[in-house]
Amino acid sequence: MLQHIIPASGLLFTLQNILWINIGVFIGAVFAAIPGLTVILCVILFLPVTYSMSAIPGMMFLLGIYCAGGYGGSVSAILINTPGTPHAAATMLDGHPMSKQGRTKAALKIALYASTFGGIFSALALLFLGPQVAKLAAQLGTPEYFMVCLFGLTIIAGVSGKSMIRGIIAACLGLLISCIGSDPMTSYDRFTFGINRLYLGLDLAVCLIGLFALVEIVSRAEDQPQEMHMDTRKMKDDGTITKDEYKRMVRPALLGSLIGVMVGIIPGTGASEASWFSYSQAKNMSKHKEEFGNGSVEGIAAAESANNAVTGATLIPLLTLGIPGDGTVAIMLSALMINGLNPGLSLFTTQGDIMYAIMLGLILVNVFMFIQGKLLTPLFAKVVSIPQEILTPIIVIFCFAGAYSVNKNYFDVAVALVFCVLAWILRKLDMPPVPILLGLVLGRMTETNFRRALLISNGSPKIFVSSVYCWAFIALIVLAVGTIIRGKIHDRKAQEKEE
Amino acid sequence: MKDKMDRISARLREKQIRIPVDLTVGVVFFLVAAAVLLLMPSQVAISERDVVNGRAFPTLLMWVMMICCALLVGKEIYKIIKKRPIAYKTINLLVEVKALIIMAILVITYLLARTTDLFVVGAVFCAVAFLLYFRCKKPLYYVITVGMAVGIWAVFRFLLNVHF
Repeated sequence: MLQHIIPASGLLFTLQNILWINIGVFIGAVFAAIPGLTVILCVILFLPVTYSMSAIPGMMFLLGIYCAGGYGGSVSAILINTPGTPHAAATMLDGHPMSKQGRTKAALKIALYASTFGGIFSALALLFLGPQVAKLAAQLGTPEYFMVCLFGLTIIAGVSGKSMIRGIIAACLGLLISCIGSDPMTSYDRFTFGINRLYLGLDLAVCLIGLFALVEIVSRAEDQPQEMHMDTRKMKDDGTITKDEYKRMVRPALLGSLIGVMVGIIPGTGASEASWFSYSQAKNMSKHKEEFGNGSVEGIAAAESANNAVTGATLIPLLTLGIPGDGTVAIMLSALMINGLNPGLSLFTTQGDIMYAIMLGLILVNVFMFIQGKLLTPLFAKVVSIPQEILTPIIVIFCFAGAYSVNKNYFDVAVALVFCVLAWILRKLDMPPVPILLGLVLGRMTETNFRRALLISNGSPKIFVSSVYCWAFIALIVLAVGTIIRGKIHDRKAQEKEE
Repeated sequence: MKDKMDRISARLREKQIRIPVDLTVGVVFFLVAAAVLLLMPSQVAISERDVVNGRAFPTLLMWVMMICCALLVGKEIYKIIKKRPIAYKTINLLVEVKALIIMAILVITYLLARTTDLFVVGAVFCAVAFLLYFRCKKPLYYVITVGMAVGIWAVFRFLLNVHF
């Protein structure tokens, strides 16, 4: 590891990288602070900007958005009792009551400190655990890789949305869409319907603009534009945090960071699950349970550290196995692959310096998030009240410009519109979009390993149960499916009891 | 004009359609999977020498999809037989009409940009159309949004060298 650290530092500490980190952090915090705009939407919109960059500045920019998004969501949660992003909901429970007590700046500071702590903790976890998991991944062959893909898809389909069956249908749809274009093994065209442009397949970024960004615009039909004016002059407290409060933050922040890392490593789970789990654990372990829900320092620290500790951990399965931990990092995978960086052990051996630069960069991202948070929080707070009337067309223009700039043609804009219509129909049918995204991302990898394995075995499916690793993944899939089904039954029973 | 639109929207708001969501998903995606399987021979060329050809993976996917759909439909039919409540989704007509208007704005923006081959034309239309959709009466908002639309085009055109 040490042999990579020094050259990686040389690659990382350039003016260009530091500039892109800061731009990413700023954009991420601003986007996440605005209720209704999500981090995933922000990453999709700005992904085309990274196409002209090399790997390190591109990834630094996207990681800046990703990490700062974790903190930015807490700003509106604390100020206006509306979480900017779903994973800031747990922060809101104590952040807003603390703000109402006249301690807005203190609440924002606690959220910032805990977010930074969680983020750096997970960046270190990535730095130390990533290469070890990659070594393990090197022992996997094609059948095992197919089982890994299947495991990732099963979990993601299971945890996304209310129904596991609907999740699997959505994942199948995503995988089917990934088949459009040339056959990865024979180069024959598939499902192109005579449209030559489809031979190259559908670009991931273009599909995502339709599936996640444009559909959000159409969903404006569901609500009235709200003006959430936050008078930042109300932030009159000096933001003092007492020594006792600092002491009380340590344990929940540490616990939250650990939970965030553990949850983040499992594909399909994310910052929301981590922050709620951490919040409830911190409450159970606290000596001041009565303060939870009424402006508890521990509550904010537990929730915020956990949701930012997920950021580095989700990159572990992404960089080592190519399985994205959540939807946002799935998009980052395309930023990596466009620069010829394919996940796995080879990434850590042949491109070790770049990989370590990215992992070290995550620490730097958190440092700059802290600095910007300290200096620019009043500005982020003002952003909360930008009217929807102005934001909506600007997002559409960004979406269209982004879709066009991927391949510099209007065909991609039309594809994005088609995906927008598809996403709207799926939304009406309560179909979760994340399994479709994962199907799109994992499609080629899953199919290639599936077919290669069958080619090796001359068509015999026995190859998928031929090694210890295969059996281990089958056991994991069965365990995961069992746990998900058990959880759903438990939820249903609890719901029936309530009724 | 405003009063008339308000009256229409009030009427539409009251109109709701309830769809049995799981049954619909099951039937729709079963048909989609069946259609893909039927289209497969004409859409996926294969070589007879292939041990595992290009149809194998999509065929497997469509069978998984059909099994899942059958499970969904079977579960709902079982509920109906047992006289248990099935899952419904309420669709509001006003929301759908508004969604159609937004879709129309998006499509016209695309068509304007494409036919004129000048992205900024579509961008300005989009900015004004959305402000009208939101019934915005503040001139400052129009100035800001149109200015931003031109600004975004200029950044992509002159800084990122995207010629549109």
